[in-house]
Amino acid sequence: MIELNQVVKAFEQEKAVDGVTMHIHKGSIYGLLGSNGAGKTSLLKMMAGIYRQDSGTVRIEDHEIYENMDLKGRTIFMADAPYFFPQSSITQMAAFYRSVYPRWNDERFKQLATVFKLDVKRKLHRMSKGMRRQAAVWLGLSCMPEVLLMDEPIDGLDPVMRQQIKNLLFQEAAERQVTIVISSHNLREIEDLCDHVAIMHKGRIIVEKDLDDLKADTHKIQVAFRHPDHAKAMDKQIDILHEEKRGSVSLYIVKGNRQQVTEQFRIHDPYLLDVLPLTLEEIFIYEMEDAGYDIQPIVL
Amino acid sequence: MFELDVRSRKAIYEQLVDKVKEMIVYGILKPDEQLPSVRALSTQLTVNPNTIQKAYRELEREGYIYSLQGKGSFVSSSVEHPNEAMRDEIRESLVKLIAEASYSGLTKADMTLLFEEAMARIEKEEPHD
Repeated sequence: MIELNQVVKAFEQEKAVDGVTMHIHKGSIYGLLGSNGAGKTSLLKMMAGIYRQDSGTVRIEDHEIYENMDLKGRTIFMADAPYFFPQSSITQMAAFYRSVYPRWNDERFKQLATVFKLDVKRKLHRMSKGMRRQAAVWLGLSCMPEVLLMDEPIDGLDPVMRQQIKNLLFQEAAERQVTIVISSHNLREIEDLCDHVAIMHKGRIIVEKDLDDLKADTHKIQVAFRHPDHAKAMDKQIDILHEEKRGSVSLYIVKGNRQQVTEQFRIHDPYLLDVLPLTLEEIFIYEMEDAGYDIQPIVL
Repeated sequence: MFELDVRSRKAIYEQLVDKVKEMIVYGILKPDEQLPSVRALSTQLTVNPNTIQKAYRELEREGYIYSLQGKGSFVSSSVEHPNEAMRDEIRESLVKLIAEASYSGLTKADMTLLFEEAMARIEKEEPHD
């Protein structure tokens, strides 16, 4: 269980994280989404105890993580660009991890060799970006963490490896109740991977929810009303996130229970009524628009 | 045993719930048959175990399956017919299809004929009805 309470972190005048409160359940796979520079990495680094928050609390299993050796021994942070010592190989890095992480498991390291088919003697700086990423996951999982914080973990991996790593993460969550937090821009990946998501913007959390609930209570509605007055009446009755008109067909993005929303539209007996669930990408864009970060038509 | 459409707009847990219901209603999953474990299914489909857990909970709540502590999930023996929600869905898609058929030029008589043919075929397949 990771608990953040009113966490603030500023660099110079810039507030990177501005009053974030969130709860992440044990065994959950939690997706952290956000615009560029929203503060995702800063937030992850505070959960890892790398940064110290200016105010608020960051607690894992009811203990502050900052400068907490015991807790940090059970927490793995994977940076967006994996770091290895200069000129080192996987074997050498494994020796270092073994000396630092008390829960390091040699058995597991060997088992995982069947998944990651990397040459352990080859120097890491001569490997490709994707291979270095694999090495980081391999080393990280061999430490038997209870908390796994991953910054853009899927970046640079081929489709087969993605699937493999996803499967590994699912097993970690199911069998060992590992809490996994993943930040990403790739919404498709998050959609398949996570059970909870939070959307960040300018250091704040805009939405935090069970992914399925989020998808279940936001709908895309295409409707052609019989009379323009019918459209006006809708505004008062439902929670509209976004509205667009294309000729006689209107597009609404609406929050609420699917059945109730559909009924509201149906009473007007429109010519056309289509109710679709949203993809995470659409939810992200419309929620961002609501927060004042929208797509402007670009003319250069 | 399950195929999921990862491109679909429908939530994965919803797809799972619908798939299992379908298989129960059509008798592919027999009463008291054991469903795959959450862990096994998670690995097989590459789906978050919490999502599968959620789908199983929903199925249990709706009475399609029951679970035994430490043993797993099993198909309920009482399920025989599609429930009301499923019927609503079918009704909706039928209406849509009929509208499309009529736009494409099929007449009422054509459709009536098709309907009767289809019904006759179903009745032949299920003589006990």
